[in-house]
Amino acid sequence: MNRKSSDTPIEKTTLIGKRVRKPDAPDKATGKTRYINDMVLPQMLIGKILHAGRPHAEIVSIDVSAAEKLPGVHCVLTGKDAEGLRFGFVRDNVALKNRVRCEHDEIAAVAAETEEIADRAMALITVEYRDLPGVFTPEDGREKDAPQIHDDFPDNKSLHFEFRHGDLAAAEAASEIIVDNVFRVHHVTHCCMGTSCAIADFDSNGKLTIWSQTQYPYNYKMDLAPALGMHPGDIRVMQPPVGGAFGSKLDVYPYEPIAALLAKKTGRPVKVMFSREEEFRSSPTRQPAVIHMRTGCTRNGTLTFRSADVLLDNGAYTSWGPTIPVVMMRTTTGHYRVPVVHFNAQAIYTNNPYAGSFRGYGNVQTTYATAQQMDMLAEQLDMDPIDFHLKNAQQSGETTPQQAFLRECALDECLRTAAQASDYSAKHRRYTLAREQQGRYKKGIGLASSIHNAGGAKIHKSDGCGTILKVDDYARVTVITGASEIGQGIDAVINLIVAEELGIPLEHVTIVNDDSDIAPWDVGVHASRTTFIAGNGARRAAVKARQQILNAAARMTEIAAQDLDLRGGFVVREDCGTKVIKLEKLLRRMHFQPEPELVMVTDYYEPNSEPEGADHRSDHSAAYSHAVHVAEITVDTHTGEIRVDRITSAQDVGRVINRMGLEGQIEGGIAIGLGYALSEEMQLEKGMLKNPCFRDYKVLTAPEMPELDLHFIESNCAEGPYGAKGASELPTIVIAPAIANAVYNATGIRFFNPPLTPEKVARAIWDRQQTETGPSADR
Amino acid sequence: MSDVQNYLSPHRLDDAVKAMAGGDTTVLCGGTDLSPQTDSGLREYAGTLMNIRRIEGLSGIDLIDGQIRIGALVTVTGIGNSQLLDELAPVLVEAADQFASDQIRNAASLGGNICNASPAGDMIIPLLVLDAVVELSSWRQGTVHTRQVSLDEFFTAPGKTVRQENELLTAVIFDQPAESFVAHFRKSGPRPALEIATVSVGIGGRLENGSLSGVRVAMGAVAPTPLRARSVEATLEGKTLDAETIRAAAVDAGEQATPIDDVRASAWYRRHLVCVFTEEVLNDVLEN
Ligand SMILES: Cc1cc2nc3c(=O)[nH]c(=O)nc-3n(C[C@H](O)[C@H](O)[C@H](O)COP(=O)(O)OP(=O)(O)OC[C@H]3O[C@@H](n4cnc5c(N)ncnc54)[C@H](O)[C@@H]3O)c2cc1C
Repeated sequence: MNRKSSDTPIEKTTLIGKRVRKPDAPDKATGKTRYINDMVLPQMLIGKILHAGRPHAEIVSIDVSAAEKLPGVHCVLTGKDAEGLRFGFVRDNVALKNRVRCEHDEIAAVAAETEEIADRAMALITVEYRDLPGVFTPEDGREKDAPQIHDDFPDNKSLHFEFRHGDLAAAEAASEIIVDNVFRVHHVTHCCMGTSCAIADFDSNGKLTIWSQTQYPYNYKMDLAPALGMHPGDIRVMQPPVGGAFGSKLDVYPYEPIAALLAKKTGRPVKVMFSREEEFRSSPTRQPAVIHMRTGCTRNGTLTFRSADVLLDNGAYTSWGPTIPVVMMRTTTGHYRVPVVHFNAQAIYTNNPYAGSFRGYGNVQTTYATAQQMDMLAEQLDMDPIDFHLKNAQQSGETTPQQAFLRECALDECLRTAAQASDYSAKHRRYTLAREQQGRYKKGIGLASSIHNAGGAKIHKSDGCGTILKVDDYARVTVITGASEIGQGIDAVINLIVAEELGIPLEHVTIVNDDSDIAPWDVGVHASRTTFIAGNGARRAAVKARQQILNAAARMTEIAAQDLDLRGGFVVREDCGTKVIKLEKLLRRMHFQPEPELVMVTDYYEPNSEPEGADHRSDHSAAYSHAVHVAEITVDTHTGEIRVDRITSAQDVGRVINRMGLEGQIEGGIAIGLGYALSEEMQLEKGMLKNPCFRDYKVLTAPEMPELDLHFIESNCAEGPYGAKGASELPTIVIAPAIANAVYNATGIRFFNPPLTPEKVARAIWDRQQTETGPSADR
Repeated sequence: MSDVQNYLSPHRLDDAVKAMAGGDTTVLCGGTDLSPQTDSGLREYAGTLMNIRRIEGLSGIDLIDGQIRIGALVTVTGIGNSQLLDELAPVLVEAADQFASDQIRNAASLGGNICNASPAGDMIIPLLVLDAVVELSSWRQGTVHTRQVSLDEFFTAPGKTVRQENELLTAVIFDQPAESFVAHFRKSGPRPALEIATVSVGIGGRLENGSLSGVRVAMGAVAPTPLRARSVEATLEGKTLDAETIRAAAVDAGEQATPIDDVRASAWYRRHLVCVFTEEVLNDVLEN
């Protein structure tokens, strides 16, 4: 007789490293997803904000009476309605202003029945301004007689950071080669497809529900509360699907308290949503910086010191932007083995737009400098850059001057893999020689690497994540996690991990993470931490549930729990895979027995990292990782256009969890980094944005994406889930200097100020021709 | 902020021009220029908004008695896909191929590109090279009246043309080019796709025994209107297209250009590109 198929043993398989699609992908691809921007609540009013449209001014008078009288207008708020409700990192911001400090400053807000009425009301508000002289560069802001931007921040000084390790003077004296450059990195912005949006509603007990795009719902309550004069406990944060965040939703921005203030005043739900132009003008930027960096080495190519003196354009208010030195410092001190390091950073208030956090968070800016100086030193040493990098690359077990412990360090392997896959050394030599020859098109190859935290970053008191996991009578699992989903794919990762541990189909896992009244605490989506932290949390919760299930099965079958496994929706024998009982049947038996038992477990995972600390000497992440990019480009020396032909990436990812998600993160990260390197730039003229639209602000489009050759190096992180490390920021961090190094290889010209637009490149090539040949006759 | 009081979508040309007779009408075709402009407050709608896309008889590309006639409603996609143009005036197809994205090309009309009168309009440059005229229709004395204006004389300033408020652009007409006519077009911007031209250059003429005659040179985004560069034409006329002539033409083109600095490029870069592109397009012409 044939064995019934139900008797076939189930082999042990694994999902780890497989390609799994995001559970929301079909809905997003077909347009079914209802983003927060699509949401309409019954009785909802539309809120609109009047922006100052000038960089620095006093408000002489403001008259809203005509706007208030317009039929359909429910309320108009101005600075006096938010007086004293200071919020922000250093409490220098209010939702509605009595004085203008940057172009987009919020002067008044309207709630009306429709957007059209709100627009008309805005046009009826009259404001008389007295313009003040402004400060538009941090250098100018430091001048003795510079206009003061905040009364309580003398000399326009915002945050300051410093770290010193070793005797700099001695190290400089011992250096045979020193490179010394000033890098000036620019303003760019996140360009989320979904523009900023918040919907606020109060119940009659005074509890606020806010539908938000936030990527840190729990600390968000804490940060939002002072802007409203509320207790954080009275705020419930809902997180509908969002069209991107990339760090831009890691703080509270004025439109959010404005929505709440309007809702409070009107007693109706109020939605505030930016137009694309508002999004460009009013959402946070990447932190611009002036980085004076010096790096030294000996004749034999051993690094001796690195120093960085950084001046940050704080903008008008302090959000996360000016805190990036915390990460800049880690790269300055930890990017290769540097025995002596000095770091100093000062943020200066200006009347420019202000920066928030943005994927790569300070490391994009610093690596643009460190990775180019590595290239410059190699050239001066007349050494193949790869040999110079390998010579100074840390090995597993080393500790950086800031006490980052590199437990599993795969920098060496990343360097070798990327160089070999791209034939780096041979091409680098060939293109260097070809530089001197005639020809319009020049090829170049450039290599860059960096280091980044890959196991969270303990900049708050806790870097943890809470998880609640329940298994129902049908073996369907609900994971209630603190981790937010902002498109990065933690949903697919958690599904995969839970399905792996409980031996059930991926589709049988549901994630609940959109309501702060339900899900437990998490610090937020930042620092490449979510797969590492929430992934560990989900795994630990799933393992607890698994143990409870196997123990129950053992009691019923009298087979020892350690001899049982969960596979394909069954409890099976570990050794041969023979089915013992269907999982859902077991769960019902556990439930409907005299001593009923439900599978409900909780976990709070706190990584074993140390708080950043005031002296910045701590092992602040549970893991660190490296990435190496090799960029191959062609420069049209006549038009200055750079075509990126190919990127080879080798990144230490610890262990691949969801291969498709990882590819997506690395490809997307490269796209953002390429835009930064080549085309994206907020063009500011005395604090006013000149290109607030996609016609003039150039994000990369599909035809510009180069061929990508991705290599995942698996260093098996002891602390990470299944060995995984965080991976999402490094791709954005490393690409710009790889491009700049490639452009140098192609043309012999160094670019210290991104983006490398065709005009900038053409101009530099033209200027060099002029100095080489003297004044030309033909122009 | 102004409000549209009235929306029209006529099927017949006479109805359309009748509606325009009284003024106070905004013509809407693909809307790819109009809607961003009204949205950003750059211009306002008149009391009547008239969608002209349903007007019959303005969507053809035909060869009639040695003349090519392209209806005003023909889209950039329509130009790019036209067999007829590919054979007889491929420079238009070449320009269509460098125009925006598929989505925009499907909506963007030839008439809209010309009437928008941007100095960067990508259909205008090749049409200047083809020495096209535009046909303008209006309602006069109980009938549809048409007149023709040389495209070269059509533009007066950025966004401004000699078209009267009551006139609809109905077609673009040019003579079927001679067998030996060769023309090419090149535009640029910081990205290869979805780009408003930083500058563009189109050059055409009869190529016989390595020399050009009947030369026409047009340049976009280097002056307040799309520009015919007569002196460059003179530099090239009848000359053998050798490296020296090409170089001289490029230098001259750079001198003819009077570009501005704006967010997209500096005047220096625009002039620089005009030289580069002139050289490049002439080499393309030579290689044809
Ligand atoms: C994303 C994007 C990319 C673009 N890329 C390019 C590009 O690469 N190259 C380029 O040249 N342009 C580009 N454009 C601009 C625009 O698409 C073109 O100019 C297009 O041809 C306009 O045609 P339309 O039918 O959409 O005109 P509409 O916007 O409908 O009209 C434009 C103007 O002409 C008037 N008008 C239209 N038709 C007539 C008519 N028959 N008679 C009288 N008046 C008329 C309208 O009243 C309006 O003032 C781009 C636009 C966008 C939004």
